[in-house]
Parts: sequence; C-alpha cells; structure tokens
Amino acid sequence: MTVQQALRNRWVIVPLAIAVILLAWNGYVALNDGGMVAGRVVDRNGRAVADATVILLERNFVTHNERQRTKSDASGHFRFSGNNNHSLQLEAEAAGLGRSERVVVRLWFRAQNIVLVEPLRFAGQLP
Amino acid sequence: MPAHCSGSGMRSRSTYLRHAALTLISGVMLVPFYWVIKTAVTDENIYAYPPRLLPENPHLFNFVDVWYLIPFPRYLLNSLIVSALVVACNVVFNAMAGYALTKRFPGRQAILLVFLSCMLIPFQATIIPAYLITAKLGLLNSYLGLALPLLSTIVSIFVFKAAFEAIPPSLVDAARIDGLSEGRIIFRVLMPLSRAALATNVVLSFIWSWNAFLWPLIITREPSMQTLPLGLARFLSYLEDTTGALYAFAVMVLAPSIFVFLMAQKEFIRGLTSGATKG
Amino acid sequence: MMPAAGRVEAWRDDWWRRRRTRELALIACFLLPSATVFFLYRVLPLGWNVLLSLQYWSPLKPARWAGLDHYEEMLLHDDVFWQALQNTLIFIGVSPLAILLALGIALLVNSDLKGAAIYRSIIFLSYPLMTVAVGIIWRWMYDERGGIINFLLRESGVATKPIPFLQSFEWALPSVIVAEIWQVLGFYMIIILTGLQSIPPHLYEAAAIDGAPRWARFWRITLPMLKPSLFLCAVVGILNSLTSFDLVYIMTNGGPGHATELLITLIYKSGFGQTKFDYAAALTVVQFSLLLALTYLANRAFGGNAGALQR
Repeated sequence: MTVQQALRNRWVIVPLAIAVILLAWNGYVALNDGGMVAGRVVDRNGRAVADATVILLERNFVTHNERQRTKSDASGHFRFSGNNNHSLQLEAEAAGLGRSERVVVRLWFRAQNIVLVEPLRFAGQLP
Repeated sequence: MPAHCSGSGMRSRSTYLRHAALTLISGVMLVPFYWVIKTAVTDENIYAYPPRLLPENPHLFNFVDVWYLIPFPRYLLNSLIVSALVVACNVVFNAMAGYALTKRFPGRQAILLVFLSCMLIPFQATIIPAYLITAKLGLLNSYLGLALPLLSTIVSIFVFKAAFEAIPPSLVDAARIDGLSEGRIIFRVLMPLSRAALATNVVLSFIWSWNAFLWPLIITREPSMQTLPLGLARFLSYLEDTTGALYAFAVMVLAPSIFVFLMAQKEFIRGLTSGATKG
Repeated sequence: MMPAAGRVEAWRDDWWRRRRTRELALIACFLLPSATVFFLYRVLPLGWNVLLSLQYWSPLKPARWAGLDHYEEMLLHDDVFWQALQNTLIFIGVSPLAILLALGIALLVNSDLKGAAIYRSIIFLSYPLMTVAVGIIWRWMYDERGGIINFLLRESGVATKPIPFLQSFEWALPSVIVAEIWQVLGFYMIIILTGLQSIPPHLYEAAAIDGAPRWARFWRITLPMLKPSLFLCAVVGILNSLTSFDLVYIMTNGGPGHATELLITLIYKSGFGQTKFDYAAALTVVQFSLLLALTYLANRAFGGNAGALQR
C-alpha cells in the first residue's frame, strides 16, 4: 500500500488524528499547569476592596477543605500559586463587609492557570 | 426484495410509512443515549422531579471530575492492556489454526467437529472450573489471567479459514517454492490478502475483551487490576450523589465502544453473521 | 541388497514420508495454541463441572464423594433455585416476541429505502455496548424521581404516582427484560437481514408472475428461507439468559427478594459469594442441560439440521 493510499485509509487517519490531538492536549496542559489562580475582589458597587482575605478551598470528593489564604492588594487583585486541584471554591472576607459569595471554580485539568473573569462580589459596600 | 408492483402513488405512501415507522423505532432506540448524555452534562440535582428534558446550564466538568476522582486512567490502562493482549493473540492463534484447518490431514473432520461443538459451550457455563484452573496456573489477578479465556475464538478461526481458502493455491505454492517457511507464508502472503478477515477478527476480539465483566469480576482480587466495567460497577454507589458524575463515567466508558463500532461496522457485522454466538 | 531402481524409490518414499510428517507436525503446532485455550476453558470445565457436582469440595479440605446430594438439595430444598429457574425460563420465553419485532424491523429496513443504512446503524448501535453501562443507563431511566420512564408515564396520565420499577416484585423482571431486548434487538435484526438478503430474488419474481399475493410470497418463500436465521436468533435468545448476568447484577442484583434472580446469578452467588463451589457446579450442570434441551427443541421446531433447507 503506498503512502498516499495509507493516508486515505480510515484505519490510519483516525489513530493518527487521535495521537495528534492527544499530543497537542498534553502540550497545552504542560504549558499551563502552573497552579496559579488570580482574580479581583469588589464590593456591591464594583469598587475594589483592598486588603481582603481571600480563601481558597479545594474539593475532596464531596467536601471542600480550606487550603490557602491570601490578601488582596490595593487594587483588589489577589493571586494564589501552587494550586493542585481541578475543583475549587473561593471566598473572601473583609472587615466591615463580612463574607462574600462563595464562587465555584472548575478547571479542565489539575493546576490549570486561571484568571477569573467575574470578580468576587461582596454583598455590602465600602463606606 | 419483492418489487412493488403498484403505481407510483402507492409507492410513495408506503415508502413514507416505512420511513415513519423506522424513524419512530430509531428514536426509541436512541432515547437511552440521549438521557444519559443529558444527565452527564447537568450539574443540578438530578433527582428532582419533574426531570428536565433538556439539560440546564450544560457543562463538561463532570468528565474532569471522573478523570481525577476515580482511578479512571488506571482502569483505562488495564482495559487497554488486556484488550491489546487479547487482540494480538487472537490474530496470531486464529490465523495459525485457520491455516492449519485448510489443509487435509487425518482427523481433520474430528477436529472440526470438536471446535464446532466448543462453540456450543457458553463461557458462563464454565466459570467455576475456569476460576479453579486459572488459580492452579497461578494467574489470578494478572493480565494474562484476565486475557486467557479470550485468547482464541472459534468464530474467528472459521472466518480466517474461509478467507484463506478463497486464496488461489498457486500463490501459496509459489511462495513455498521461493523457500518461505509456513509461518512466513501465513503472515506475508495470506494475511495481506485477507484484510477483511483480519479486521473482523480484531474488532470482534476487541469488543468482547473490552466489555467483559463476569470474568474480570471473578479473577481480580485488587482494585488496581480492575478493568473499566468493574470500575464502573464498583463506583455505582460511591459516586451516587446528586450530580451526574456517575453517568459521565458511563458516557466515558461507552465512547470507545461506539467509536470502534462506527469505524468498523462492516467488519463487526460480517464477523457476527458468519458465526453466531458471543464467545 | 535392493536393485538400483528400488533403492531410489525407497529413498523417494522415505523423503516424502518425512516431509509429510514435518507437515503434520507443523499443523499440530499451529493448532496447539487455540486447542489449548479451548481445552482449558471449554472442554475441561465441562467435565470438571460434572465431577465437582458429585463431590463435597472445598478449597481447604480434601474432596469427598457426594453422589447426588447436591442435586437433591437443589431440587427438593432450594426455593431460590426454582425461582431462578422460573425467571430464566420467562427470560427465554420472551425472546420469540423480540425476534418477531426484529423480523418486522428487518423487513422494513431491507428495502431500497434511502438511508436504510443509517437506520440499521442506529438500531444496531446498542449491541456492541458494555452491558454494565447499559445496565446503569436503564437503571437511571427506571428511577422513580429522575427517570424518564416514570416521567413519561405520569405526564401522559397513565400512572398517577411513581412506579418503583426495579424495586417492585411485579415489575423488576419485566424491566430487566425490556433492557435486554433493547440491547439485543439490533443483533437479531442483523442476523435476519443477512438471511433476507441471501434469498434469491428470482423466487419472488417467479411467484409474482404466477400471481401470488404478497402475503403468500412472505409466508411461502420468505419465512421458510429464513429458518436458519431464525434458529440462530432463537439460540442467541436462549444464551442471553446467561449473558444477562451483567444487566441483572447492575440493575437489581437478583432482587427484590429473588424476583430477578437468574440461574447464572445464582451460580455466581453460590460459587463466589458463599464459596460453595460444588453446589454451584451442580447448578451449572443443570443449567447447561437446560440450555442443551432448549436448543434441541428449537432445532426440532425449525425442522432439524439447524434450520437449513434440504435441497
């Protein structure tokens, strides 16, 4: 069977395609598994909340356990590193504002780098 | 097929009725697929009544959960290794046996009869002694033990035999004159000309070994040696929370079978109709 | 001392014999791997089952002769056996209905319909699936709360409250049977289709010329020539009571009570649950005899010789 004929045979094309896809996916995963989780904290009106404590919880079968804490900077941004799980929850606490909503973050693979699109919102507002 | 001996008006009506009936039947046959896929991509409480007919906020993260929370990669690996072993040995053993049966030798009829009657013995009628034999061989809980009963199937032997018999003997004689050994004759001359039989053999043995449940259930002792069907059964109660994770697992398990089927329909059907019963 | 010509002939005979022996040895070698597998896992177990069923055997103690004690216990004292036997017979008894349904579908699909191949693929799709997964799917479909079957029944008004299909004594076995039919229908259809397509069309043309009406053509030509295929379907239907172990294990595990217990699940539970290998072997012997008897009866029903026509 010539190479041309082989390339048109479905028994060759399909496994090749699968191999290529798998390689590409593994490459993407390898490039993006730094374990970074970043986002912003805002109050009800959208103003950034500085110095809020952000809690990262990790999923363990049916429960979520606290894993890391960090503080948001002056512009409300926060950043975690070293996340090794694929299913997380994020929550923020700030003096005077209580707790924010709990946001569920589900990733495509463990330790996927992710920057949250929607900020963590507090129910209250800054004075 | 009897020709429609009627005018074109009647023909289109009966064709329309046929299509309608077949569409209805196909729809009914597809309902379970739709229902499990719908459940696998939903996240809300799947036990709520009334169940939604369309998934609300479908997402694919259940599949990610299954991959990490269950040792899915391990089960997949075990299933792949066992199936690879079964397929490889099936091709080699069945080709050899099929070739041997194309020759004339004393006792050929008797051996054919014995093989044919082995087809009448279903696997499930042998499980107790098969377990004891495998235990005596020391192959419990091993890949070889998992694969052993499936290493050769009679249907496939006869498929190969028929394919080899259809090859003009002059080709075989020419190869023999060229000095090829019998083994080489099979694999260099006969096999390339029996690609259909080979494909049938591969597909049939893959599907039987991939789907096997009772034998791995009996043979494996440790969870780390379990194959996909066992993993699925084991997590039946484990994952039964209110999300569709269990059904995502089922979908992931079914995908390879459906994929292989779609790729190899013709070969699969040919193999089944040339021989009959499962295993 | 042989004359020269005789010496050459003797040498030639000897050479031929040696080559023939080599060929025979080769044939034996080629047959050996497959034959070993079949011997170990088909022939030997058959005999060993019978032997085991006549002994008191346990993995730790030496075997003692039991005679027909196990059979006596099974037939006279074991209610579960009779329940399992009844369930198995019901299971097998429903297969003619499924075969009839498949016959209808095959007739529909076997025309020069556009897209017949697609219909065929869809209907056959259920067969190569892992039976464990099929069991899980159907179990979910029968669920009282989230299942689609209860939903459809209640929405259409047929039922007023949810029916616990797999937990009720009356509905459990039919539910499992429906799931089994869903999976095997495509297989029956393919077998019958192959049979239909091997009927030479000139028979129909001759009958049409002779003026035979459609139903007569079906009754006199199609059905008799389908006998081998229908016999094959009957055998598969009989064997399905064995291969449905997966379905029963996943969907009901024999329950509720023993309403869905089949002989094969009873064998598994006795042998590997209670480790009563000898009793399980006796059950296997009974089941295998039942299968052989039913296959023989089916053979007779289809005219002997596995349904093949006498020419």
